[in-house]
Amino acid sequence: MKVRVRGSILDLLAFRGLPGKRSKRFARASAGLLPVHPVNELARQIHPSKLQLAVTGIRDETKTTRTFKLAPAPGSETRSLPCFRAGQYLSLKANVDGARISRPYSISSAPFEASAPDGFYEITLRRVEGGFYTDHIWRTWQVGTKVESSGPVGLFYHEPLRDSRKIVGLAGGSGVTPFRSMAREILFGDLDAELLLLYGSSDEEDIVFYDELGELERSSAGRVRVVHVLSCEVVSLEGCEKGFITAELIRRYASLESDSFFVCGPEMMYRFLEAELAKLELPRKRVRREVWGELTDVTRRPDFPSDAVGKTFRMKVKMQGVVSEIPARATETVLVAMERASLASPSLCRSGECGYCRSLLLGGEVFIAPESDDRRAADRKLGYIHPCSAYPLSDLEIETPGEA
Amino acid sequence: MVEQTAAPIGRSYDCVVIGSGNGGLGAAAQLAAKGVKVLLVEQHNVPGGFASSFVRGRFEFETAMHLIADLGPPTNKGGVRKFLEDELEIYLDWVEIPEAFRLIVTDPGEELDVTLRYGVRDYIDTIEKAVPGSQESITNYIDLCMEVVDALTYLGESRGNPDRKVLTSKYGNFLKTAPYSVDRVANALKVPKKAQAIFHAPWVYLGPPTSRLSFTVFAGMMAKLIAFSGYIPRHRSHEFTSALEARIRQLGGETRFNTRVDQILVEDGRVAGVVTSRGERIATEHVVANLAPGLVYNHLISPASEVPEIAYRESNARRFAVSALTVYLGLDAPPEELGLHEYSYFVYANTDTDDVYESFGRLATPKGQATACLNNALPDASPPGTTILSLTTLYRPEAWADVRPQDYVKVKNESARGLIDDFEKATGTRIREHIEEVEVATPATYARYTGVHGGTIYGYEPDSWDSLIPRMMAMNEEKHIRGLEFSGGYAFRCHGYSSSFMSGQVAGLLTYASLAEEGR
Repeated sequence: MKVRVRGSILDLLAFRGLPGKRSKRFARASAGLLPVHPVNELARQIHPSKLQLAVTGIRDETKTTRTFKLAPAPGSETRSLPCFRAGQYLSLKANVDGARISRPYSISSAPFEASAPDGFYEITLRRVEGGFYTDHIWRTWQVGTKVESSGPVGLFYHEPLRDSRKIVGLAGGSGVTPFRSMAREILFGDLDAELLLLYGSSDEEDIVFYDELGELERSSAGRVRVVHVLSCEVVSLEGCEKGFITAELIRRYASLESDSFFVCGPEMMYRFLEAELAKLELPRKRVRREVWGELTDVTRRPDFPSDAVGKTFRMKVKMQGVVSEIPARATETVLVAMERASLASPSLCRSGECGYCRSLLLGGEVFIAPESDDRRAADRKLGYIHPCSAYPLSDLEIETPGEA
Repeated sequence: MVEQTAAPIGRSYDCVVIGSGNGGLGAAAQLAAKGVKVLLVEQHNVPGGFASSFVRGRFEFETAMHLIADLGPPTNKGGVRKFLEDELEIYLDWVEIPEAFRLIVTDPGEELDVTLRYGVRDYIDTIEKAVPGSQESITNYIDLCMEVVDALTYLGESRGNPDRKVLTSKYGNFLKTAPYSVDRVANALKVPKKAQAIFHAPWVYLGPPTSRLSFTVFAGMMAKLIAFSGYIPRHRSHEFTSALEARIRQLGGETRFNTRVDQILVEDGRVAGVVTSRGERIATEHVVANLAPGLVYNHLISPASEVPEIAYRESNARRFAVSALTVYLGLDAPPEELGLHEYSYFVYANTDTDDVYESFGRLATPKGQATACLNNALPDASPPGTTILSLTTLYRPEAWADVRPQDYVKVKNESARGLIDDFEKATGTRIREHIEEVEVATPATYARYTGVHGGTIYGYEPDSWDSLIPRMMAMNEEKHIRGLEFSGGYAFRCHGYSSSFMSGQVAGLLTYASLAEEGR
């Protein structure tokens, strides 16, 4: 077969002419610099690698709960706050007593409040008894304190492509924070949805945002509804449910056929709710769970090897070509061990989900709870772990990339 | 408590590879296999660039690959399999995809619904059935594509120094079609328009409309697909890229993640080192840059006075290719229940590739999509009773230039919704109510994770004047800094999953050759 496009000779000439044609294009082109493309600028604005924030206000919510208002730190590289989706969190980073740590906290304010001219985020924390970071915050944070943070991240948000317009929030304790963000965004911002919040607290005094949630409900024309569920013996507040968020209670308030359920609360509540939700036989797509962070006590798990309890192992950490040897307790994650030595890779979720701390296990054994094992299939095969969800069971050797 | 022992870290390397996309991995692996002291530097925390995977709920999504064209079965190895298995001794569990594609064209008067299988006979027969009388021209067309691949193989084997006589006597058709677009060659062979529409359906894998797309590049891809079929790795691209990274280390190479190269130091026209985002200065006389020459000359070369003016002109003359938007869906029903029977779908409004390409320049849902149902190639890609479906369309980067951060989610969701609607209408399936997990990647997502200009995923557009052959012919002339090679989609082989990977092999071998010349 002989192919001709314009003619044998012309085609060959065209072939020979290719470099010349190319040179001509180059000669005609500008010698100017390539400007940064607006899409790269958009990416930077939506997902900045880090934020420099400062505390601009502190408000007590309950005896143990406090809201901190955060805005761009004056004079820092952070000029405005990235948009986020109601339900997302910030991963705060800090140096505390020689450790370099990170902690994820849901944003309790609404997205519209971040994009306003004097934009801010709020985070609402419960002081945990003996909590390493919250103790530090209660002790040291005041108006003006600088706070280093990730951009807003996380997957716990209403997604119209996937979720029903009606959100049923199942909240426990300080797990109410993402729902405050959603409720405010539904009423004053851009979230086209309705929220029914079933909010469990152990005591009337422990209810976070009680007054505010009531006001939001009253002014919402039915778009936001809040039901408090109190597990204490004596209940004086009107219109509350007594007991726990049970299948029966959910069935009474929610439409099981269509609503999308969002769960956020402490580990204990999840354990209780899992059994209740199972009774309702909801399709998986309609139940979303916020990750709860590290397990409060891994040794309580029946599948955790009991002979490891109380042990401290040696761990070799190879980071950017430098090898360090540090202690690693069986009851704390590999990430915590590295943080204690200021040797951790970036981490966000501290729940095994996001994979930011992905590291290579070169030797030794770890425990990973099946429900917090979100590794990629190939990573399991090749021996990678997410240190935030892995507990040492022997001396370890790992390679980790370190902070960017 | 912390005992720190500084490991013997070499602050000097024979070669530094910037970026662990497919091209960077290919280059670093080739160099490590040759015993070269190589360092691979990646700004992200996983290797692969676009070629990766991510987990949402009970699904692990492929980020980029629809298929790899140049792998071939073990009995008839393509270039990628030869490189991986014979040179690097990497054996992965590759899965052959079941059919070539199902093409659906939806505009009234233009309707088409054809499913093709790879293999010369099947291809010709199916097109003849859809377009009676096309058999002869399609047979010639495929023969021509095969000849182009043979010629490219010859060029590769000649290491850039082909014998002109052999080229003109054996590969005349290759030479004579190299200056032209796909349309011009197909018309010269008198392929009926409708048969062209079917044959050309995978043009979106390459980007430019067939009126501009280099015939050589298209023929190379099609011939490989028809001869070798398409393959995917069992555990997504991440398995491929992680295996490469692991092999690089095994072979004595080093890799650094969460680390960016901020400067390439140049002295008297030759590479002298690199500076990383950790402020570390690393001595090296060789760099393989797995990124756009435009970015290297504009932002990395230090001092800038080492960049000749022509280098700016060259990169400004070339056109950054398209970016993409992908909707990743984890569905809570099995494919057969959803009515999904194929792995690969092309859905177009019409067969005018210029018109479809033009729609990539606007934000409104574009008129074409390439959609893959992973479970139809890999039944256990997700848990029983579920399906992974990813819908991809292309965008010119400028279409997204005016999107404001506060509108970003709305804009991307609108496009995603449009793609899902178009797919449902074209195939008669219902997927909306089965969405259990969804993620939408946009040009900003590609820009975020890789730093590419404008979110471009396809390198520089392979127009006929800037396609493989002219890039190759001009390769030496366009080298402006000694010790600097390029790999990836911007390099001479043009973009594409296997091309960018194999370009790494070439960049590695070229670097190895210069090291040998320098007596190392």
